[in-house]
Amino acid sequence: MALTHRERLLRVFGFKSVDRVPNYEFGYWKETIDRWHREGLPLEVKADDDIERYLGLEGLESIERVPVAVGIWPNPFEKVLKREDDKEFVADGLGGIFIRKKYISTIPHYIRYPIKSREDWERIKPLFNPETPGRIPLNWNDIVEIYKNRDYPLIIFVGSLYGWLRNLMGVERISIAFYREPEWVEEMMDTIVNLSTAILRKVLRDIDVDVAWFWEDMAYSKGPLLSPKLFEKFMVPRYKKITDILHEHGVNVVVVDCDGYIDPLVSGWLEAGVNCMFPLEARYVDPYRLREKFGRRVLLMGGVDKRALMIGEKAIDKELERLTPLLEEGGYIPTVDHRVPPEVPYQNYIYYLKKKKEWLEKHHP
Amino acid sequence: MVLDDIKESLVGLDMDKVLDLVKRAVDEGYRPVDIVNSLADGMKIIGEGYERGELFLSEIIMASEIFKEAMNILEPLVLKEEGVLKPIGRVVVGTVEGDLHDIGKNLFTMFLKSMGFDVIDLGVDVSVENFVDAVKQYRPDIVGMSALLTTTVVNMEKVIKALEEAGLRSYVKVIVGGAAVSKEYAIEIGADAGGIDAYEGALICRKWMEEKQKISVK
Repeated sequence: MALTHRERLLRVFGFKSVDRVPNYEFGYWKETIDRWHREGLPLEVKADDDIERYLGLEGLESIERVPVAVGIWPNPFEKVLKREDDKEFVADGLGGIFIRKKYISTIPHYIRYPIKSREDWERIKPLFNPETPGRIPLNWNDIVEIYKNRDYPLIIFVGSLYGWLRNLMGVERISIAFYREPEWVEEMMDTIVNLSTAILRKVLRDIDVDVAWFWEDMAYSKGPLLSPKLFEKFMVPRYKKITDILHEHGVNVVVVDCDGYIDPLVSGWLEAGVNCMFPLEARYVDPYRLREKFGRRVLLMGGVDKRALMIGEKAIDKELERLTPLLEEGGYIPTVDHRVPPEVPYQNYIYYLKKKKEWLEKHHP
Repeated sequence: MVLDDIKESLVGLDMDKVLDLVKRAVDEGYRPVDIVNSLADGMKIIGEGYERGELFLSEIIMASEIFKEAMNILEPLVLKEEGVLKPIGRVVVGTVEGDLHDIGKNLFTMFLKSMGFDVIDLGVDVSVENFVDAVKQYRPDIVGMSALLTTTVVNMEKVIKALEEAGLRSYVKVIVGGAAVSKEYAIEIGADAGGIDAYEGALICRKWMEEKQKISVK
């Protein structure tokens, strides 16, 4: 049975038989690529999608994404205010200032968040206007033509209800706002929903999309940053407004990218029509536990423990073996459970990919 | 009773009610120290809920905010009545060099403050030298370090070694935490405790201070 890439992806997530499961990986830290350049990765292979192509992977970075701007638009201009040793103090173009480490890939550390008050929000709110020119390319008709009769999958990014606001306000300010200014939080989330739904209506009228993708990153090692009670009250109904449109147009794989211990949020996401959990950090999330609890309602992506790749061949073999029953059951696409960290030697990664390729061909639904 | 109501309202995360009740308790002549203790009891319930996995970060942040607002009312009154607002101990905290994650550190700080510690927060990406300088300057009882990344966790050991070299290690307890730190790793690098959650870490700090007090009384 020779399947196209697109058929393979949709059949796996439909728990149908396939010739093999698609071979995706999450990506790499900059330091990892630097290390690998010293260990045999050709110097000209730099970006995540370059590496994927070079190593014979099919995604995730190199999967086609609908070229529309769902998010703050136009993109704000950053300005480096000061350079100090290995740090840069950066004005983010939205009123915030953050510190960026020049040589280390890590989260920006905000010393002043863009939104501290409702007045700040009123200033930023117009940047979520779905009608701003440029969100949808001017050559839209050409793009629609290109995507007709394709054999590859197509993803659309649909936004973030909590993650964006947390990045604009900081976790402390937004947490307090949920209790002290709930109407404001609702208004901000409604603004995002309005943006996402308006863009989706235009896109899905013309294009058959396969996968929708939310980004949240709203959990850490101990659990969600937001209590599940607030998550269900504020977010679940708003996700539904977005997923209703997706489902109307046959987009039934809706991914949420959220690191950390996500278990307390999964039932809410499923209720909201967000059904694919990614990247399943192995230190915190057991994919078998989620499948046992939620059955085939939950789709899974990720889950390969990055620590096994740090250790070596035996650990890699054992890790793939651990995930074999899940792979064979379907509804699961394995990738390393986050970007590959710099502790992973290139030779270990090459070994992992070799074994994984054989594993995907041998074990599948 | 108003003190119980303060505790319950804090657990219910009702800031307006807590602040009203605190003001009422002051007007009714309750000792400010007793009012502070009822708030601390509420924070204890919050901490235990967090430890059991029943409460989440947003709830801890809100409870800490209420505690902070209530303390703004009570601190001057405690000072007036007791003459001094003596913390149970001093802790220097920071996320180690190269790491900009601060959720764990901030949680730890919130619990420490609610237990009556004076906390010197050095922030994130704190160099070895800055930890050592802070110990020299603030003379804390405890140093708390946090790291999320496997690449930065090694800097904890460097701080401990630098404290030893500066002759300061024996004066301070060291506690380490963060997603990349296990109990075994904490012991391996020479910390006194680690690899536990933020509330349990704060409880250990309080236990250390109680033990220290017993020794000094003897």
